[in-house]
Amino acid sequence: MSMARSLAAALVAALAAAGTASAADAVKIGVIYPLSGNAANAGKSALEAVRLAAEIVNDPHPELSPLPLAGGSGLPNLGGAKIEIVSADHQGNPAEGQSQTLRLITQDKVAAVIGAYQSNVTFTATAVAERYGVPFIIGDSVALNIMARGFQWVFRTTPVASDFAANYMAFFNDMNKAGHKVTSVAVVNENTDYGTSVATTLLEQAAAHGLKVVAQIAYSANSTDVSAQVLQLKDKKPDGVVFVSYTADAILYLKTMKNLDYLPPMMIGDDSGFSDPTFVPSVGSIAQGVMNRSAWDVGKPGSVTYKIDQMFRQRTGHAMDDTSARDMQAFFVLAEAINRAGSTDPAKIQAALRATDLKHEQLMMGYRGVKFDKTGQNTEAATYLIQLQGSDYVAVWPPQFSSAPLQWPMRGWK
Amino acid sequence: MSGRWGATGLWLALLLFPLAASFSGSALFLQDIGATVLLTAIGACAWNVVGGYAGQVSVGHAIFFGTGAYASLAVYTLWQLPPVAGLPLAVGLAMLIAALIGLPTFRLQGHYFSMATLAVAELIRLLVSNWDMLGAAIGIQGPATPRGWWDIVYRSPVPYYYIDLAVLAALLAATRRMTRSRFGFYLRAIRSGERAARSLGVPVRRIKLLALMFSAGFAAVAGALYALKVGFVNPESGLGILVSVQMIITAALGGAGSLYGPLVGAIILVPLQSVSNTWFGGSGSGLTYILYGGIIMLLARYEPGGLAEWWHRRLAPRLKRTPAESEHVRSAA
Amino acid sequence: MILLQATVSGLLLGAVYALFSCGLTLIWGMMNFINFAHGEFVMLGMYAALLATWAGLGPAFFAPGAAIALFALGAIVYLGVIKQVMRGPMLAQILSSFGLALLLRYTAFFVFKSDFRTLPESELSGTLHLFGLYIARAQLLAGAAAALLAFAMHMLLTRSALGSRMLAVAEDRQAAMLMGIRPDRMQTLAWGLSAASAGVAGALMAIAYPFSPAVGETFALTAFVVVTLGGFGSVPGAMIAGFVIGLVEALAAYLIGPVYKDVVVYAIFVAVLWVRPQGLLGASAR
Repeated sequence: MSMARSLAAALVAALAAAGTASAADAVKIGVIYPLSGNAANAGKSALEAVRLAAEIVNDPHPELSPLPLAGGSGLPNLGGAKIEIVSADHQGNPAEGQSQTLRLITQDKVAAVIGAYQSNVTFTATAVAERYGVPFIIGDSVALNIMARGFQWVFRTTPVASDFAANYMAFFNDMNKAGHKVTSVAVVNENTDYGTSVATTLLEQAAAHGLKVVAQIAYSANSTDVSAQVLQLKDKKPDGVVFVSYTADAILYLKTMKNLDYLPPMMIGDDSGFSDPTFVPSVGSIAQGVMNRSAWDVGKPGSVTYKIDQMFRQRTGHAMDDTSARDMQAFFVLAEAINRAGSTDPAKIQAALRATDLKHEQLMMGYRGVKFDKTGQNTEAATYLIQLQGSDYVAVWPPQFSSAPLQWPMRGWK
Repeated sequence: MSGRWGATGLWLALLLFPLAASFSGSALFLQDIGATVLLTAIGACAWNVVGGYAGQVSVGHAIFFGTGAYASLAVYTLWQLPPVAGLPLAVGLAMLIAALIGLPTFRLQGHYFSMATLAVAELIRLLVSNWDMLGAAIGIQGPATPRGWWDIVYRSPVPYYYIDLAVLAALLAATRRMTRSRFGFYLRAIRSGERAARSLGVPVRRIKLLALMFSAGFAAVAGALYALKVGFVNPESGLGILVSVQMIITAALGGAGSLYGPLVGAIILVPLQSVSNTWFGGSGSGLTYILYGGIIMLLARYEPGGLAEWWHRRLAPRLKRTPAESEHVRSAA
Repeated sequence: MILLQATVSGLLLGAVYALFSCGLTLIWGMMNFINFAHGEFVMLGMYAALLATWAGLGPAFFAPGAAIALFALGAIVYLGVIKQVMRGPMLAQILSSFGLALLLRYTAFFVFKSDFRTLPESELSGTLHLFGLYIARAQLLAGAAAALLAFAMHMLLTRSALGSRMLAVAEDRQAAMLMGIRPDRMQTLAWGLSAASAGVAGALMAIAYPFSPAVGETFALTAFVVVTLGGFGSVPGAMIAGFVIGLVEALAAYLIGPVYKDVVVYAIFVAVLWVRPQGLLGASAR
């Protein structure tokens, strides 16, 4: 080639390289969680999970390859652009959630937001995103009113109370069909927004599944004594009891039940207190067979979920928990949609999210898939039911995902 | 404040702040903080009337704030009315509750009043937490998108800023008028010594009650304005103890019993909270309230009159100031 | 039968209420000061017991350990802050103890986190089966110990020389000074005693009930109700009122619903203020 041509070729190559470099500007995603206050532990854990997800997307991780974007570097359709996390702390306060989301959107100019753990903060934070036309994805908050406002920019991947309640009642029906008598249930719930909203949907789902509710016992989460409630249960003899409790009350109930010698055929704890790290050490030995829900299961060594758990442990020093896992999953869904959109334009990301259709094999959670309905809720969200056997919870239902046989009735302390 | 110039300057600055902020890259965020400063100031100024001027320390003012927030969002949730329509209900209810608390306790020692405000605040919070009509523990919301201008739902914080500014100006004007009237004279007499005031013929109980009702009414307005801006209230954000604490510390820091003290307190505390949140993210871990507790104790121990007192003592002697403007009276035990 | 069960639990908890309320009313009577941080003293007593278990000490150390730690705290608070604010305006007095409450509560949140905790199982765990009732051993112990200690405190105040000196200061500070009693020293002791009894009550409760830094606020309110019902400055009044409130709470929980038990107690408080502010045994509260 002549000198001119080789120079031209070099120039074109240089320009092409420069062009690629400038097309690979980082994609900023806002992450808002409670990093101080009562829920700081959960918030920090969620933030670390999301950071880990960003790392998996940004760097090649071929060992996690069924997960979208894990294999390559960055977002391929945006020229390999890396994701950059901008974090914010809402301190558990709805007004602060509003303010910080405003900051993320107008000052840091994020392409999308993920958050926010507490339902009441998610409520106000998503309103800001809706007003400014920026996509907001929710991995964890389950309150129904969040998705009931006709918003177009808010998406939620996690199953909600009605999904859990339906799962529990379907499980009871399955048990009944398998020959264990389950026709009556009781609901015991703490009386703040969490407990009350779950209890309402439990009652609805019980009716829908033909189960009789013989008692619904609401109590204050910081009760010092629950003997009256346990005696009531002993009196009514339900075939299954569903508890919606935080940690201290969950522990208190188990201890009181042992003291008063009352053990129902089966107890299901709705996550929260029953999943807290202090639950098993405190009352594990007397709560054998208690069931819980989790859309996250560590799985067998060598599986994708097992590897993610290892990476998370290395990062934070503790095992992956259900809530952090759900947030991580939501982040993956968001990244996949941004990639499909091929742009950081909010409207394009919104359209891509609406068109999301992921299958079970592409997920780290136990959902059937990810597909959003017109309110933005994932209709394929689902949960496993897990049971405490020994010192760990193992997946026991649905049968096709179980890793251990179901123990019925629960053994408790016997 | 020292002199008219200081006050004029302050109001001018407040009026022009959103405009000045609009030139910055963080315009909306700054304007949002500005609106929050004014909102906090309104609550603190309201508390100041009964806690500062009348010397009756309410530690449960969240009652009135929460009434305002809940009443306005309730008329929307239950009857689809614009939240502002709930304002008369809010103020009326707050004043009624104020009377119910004040009537039995104002004839007794001050401690009874303070304990009662704490107990009634908790009582109402628990009742509301279990009352389905008011959303129980979940809370209630306002209109997500405005149906018309009367819903007062805006994308930008600026309209809220000016509404809050107008209400604050009205409150301070009313407070100033009150302190210069005979009512204000009675309040100062009560603060200096109740027994002496009573023996001089001051209708102590009635004056305290009126001050509380005035304070409650404006605290309810603050609550309603909060509900308009945030669009959501639940027992913790509307009736929780931290709401009361915020009002107290804002007023006490700036100077309880002084006209501009609470506003100064708000101008200092709100941006401080926001800045430390943005910079340090999560490392706060609840240090804010430890700090608040410490500041309140230090103020109580060393400078109960807050910054206003400190200002008057250290700097005002060098600046011209008329006796009528020393709003602040320190009383001995 | 459940009614009887509720009654017994209520009385046992009421004994603990009686114990920690005595200290509050003592200070009120002596110095005309309501300590808004009193509930936090109880809460700190609970955590003192927790720290004792972390240090490997057995239940026998909980109460004495809490007593010593909280006595020191009470005395320091008085000498460092309260003594000075007593000379200032009412606003300063109320703010000083309110600020202290916030400081103690949120420091506890920071250090211990907001999770509810229980003390590890020990020889005190387990249930007794008496007369058809199930009574947790720990609750029985807590209640019995609290009742004894409250009574002991009453005896100390009314029968001992030290006690009479403290009551003299409460009755007439000037006269006491003329008699050679140092009010300051008596008040320091009173603060120490008040905090110590609150701490011990907390330590006893910790054996039987779960706790978190948030409970201080609830106990403060309970104490206010008890001292108002019992009467300004009356230790015997606080003792009786403590049992009454414990009983009312338990019965309200059983008859109306657990979520309303606090509501009933606070409603009683407001009613007492309206109808009989001097309480059961108090002097005029004007």
